[in-house]
Amino acid sequence: MSHLHCPFCGERELREFEFRKTLPGTSASPVARVYLRQEEQDISIEHWQHLEGCRGWLRVVRNPFTGRILQTTLLPEPAP
Amino acid sequence: MTNNSKTPRYSALTLLRARFARNSLWQPLWGRAALQPQYDVVIVGAGGHGLATAFHLARDHHVGRIAVLEKDLVGYGNVGRNTTVVRSNYLLPENHYFYEDSLRRWETLSTDLNFNVMYSPRGVVDLALSDDDMTRLARRGNAMRLAGIDAELLTATELRRFCPELAPQNPRRFPIVGALLQRRGGTARHDAVAWGYARAAAAHGVDIIEHCEVTGLDVAAGRAVGVHTTAGYVKAERIVFATAGHTARVGTMLGIPLPIETHLLQAMVSEPVKPLLNTVVVFIFPGHGETYITQSDRGGLLMGGHLDGFPSYTREGCWERMEDVVAGALDLLPQIGSLRILRQWAGTNDMTMDGSPILDRLGYDNVFLNAGWCYGGFKAIPASGAAFARFVATGSAPELIQPFKLSRFDSGHLLDESGAGPFPVRQ
Repeated sequence: MSHLHCPFCGERELREFEFRKTLPGTSASPVARVYLRQEEQDISIEHWQHLEGCRGWLRVVRNPFTGRILQTTLLPEPAP
Repeated sequence: MTNNSKTPRYSALTLLRARFARNSLWQPLWGRAALQPQYDVVIVGAGGHGLATAFHLARDHHVGRIAVLEKDLVGYGNVGRNTTVVRSNYLLPENHYFYEDSLRRWETLSTDLNFNVMYSPRGVVDLALSDDDMTRLARRGNAMRLAGIDAELLTATELRRFCPELAPQNPRRFPIVGALLQRRGGTARHDAVAWGYARAAAAHGVDIIEHCEVTGLDVAAGRAVGVHTTAGYVKAERIVFATAGHTARVGTMLGIPLPIETHLLQAMVSEPVKPLLNTVVVFIFPGHGETYITQSDRGGLLMGGHLDGFPSYTREGCWERMEDVVAGALDLLPQIGSLRILRQWAGTNDMTMDGSPILDRLGYDNVFLNAGWCYGGFKAIPASGAAFARFVATGSAPELIQPFKLSRFDSGHLLDESGAGPFPVRQ
């Protein structure tokens, strides 16, 4: 995994991006939402930011076992 | 340490005898055991923590039948992938008492195991690049000294005397203004630690089974009764998971989400050179990253830095981080600029939400979890093994590891050493 595709800027080097967080599950418990992670899984849904580019927030779907990017979309709203 | 006459005790005399016996005295360090159908304790993962727990269970608590199951080879995981630094320079009392207990055990570990782990107290130096850094390091040093741990705050002149190669007087983009030194910190040989514990545990009757992956937990009447493995079913009274880097899989197996994310941490080593650096240097440059550098006994400059920055299991390591680490090393020691990088590798780190480990029961009364070591796993091995063995043997956690309960995330008693909030990547 060396590049990420920004829907606005195109294919860019990984160093321009910053990983922000793994999206937590939809648990009702606030403790679980903040601290607990989904169990090991092939698909990881994450928020990244194109920090040294358009500064847009991205929703990235990725396989953490192979490093393959499955989908990158621009988030409609700035993430909290 | 041996109660098993088959394991020869290493000494100068053994060495001499082996010389005249044309080396035919040298045997494999531990025997290949066959998997039995039933054990008192089954430990999953033959890394540092699993083997150390097995050793202390057998030696100190006289647990009879112990098996350590390993999916690859002894020492294939993080115990053979780390940068071998041992230290106890932590700010929080819970952390520095625990790591200090570990450091004291490192000092006598070679004797305890009858195996040379090459513990080298060459000092660990945390560099300060600003007055704010000095304040921060002074606070940490004072906290350590209050706990009876050695710490010295060095000015640039004192640092120059301690480690001339660093040349703090030279102009730099980020000038070095001082440092925090822990003289008893240093390095140990990581492979020797895995082999030493494996040999000592096997000498006390522990079965070490390689290429045996645990695939499931068998539960009956609210208790775990055994594990399914690729080599067959094994009944067990108590089960310990010490699967650093793969703890999320344990969570999946048991259906319990854990406060852990798996990230990559990479390290690299240069071609060997003559003695250059006499200590371990930790260099954190503001807002950018981190480089720590030490010279191995073979002569290579061993470097590491920050996490890759996103969850991954690939064990590859990204180019960007490698570049950052090398850039930091060159800023620190411009004289190494013409050296070539010989090898680069990455390990999977279980990063917890507060940067501190988890030593607790997991889901069932007789299932134990030793996980979430973040960067601290290697240096923690001796203390973790001793304390966790006592926990598993007696059923109650020693005071030393009580703060590392899983429930601290519910109750808010976090051990947030770096004050970074619930973001594993920033710990």
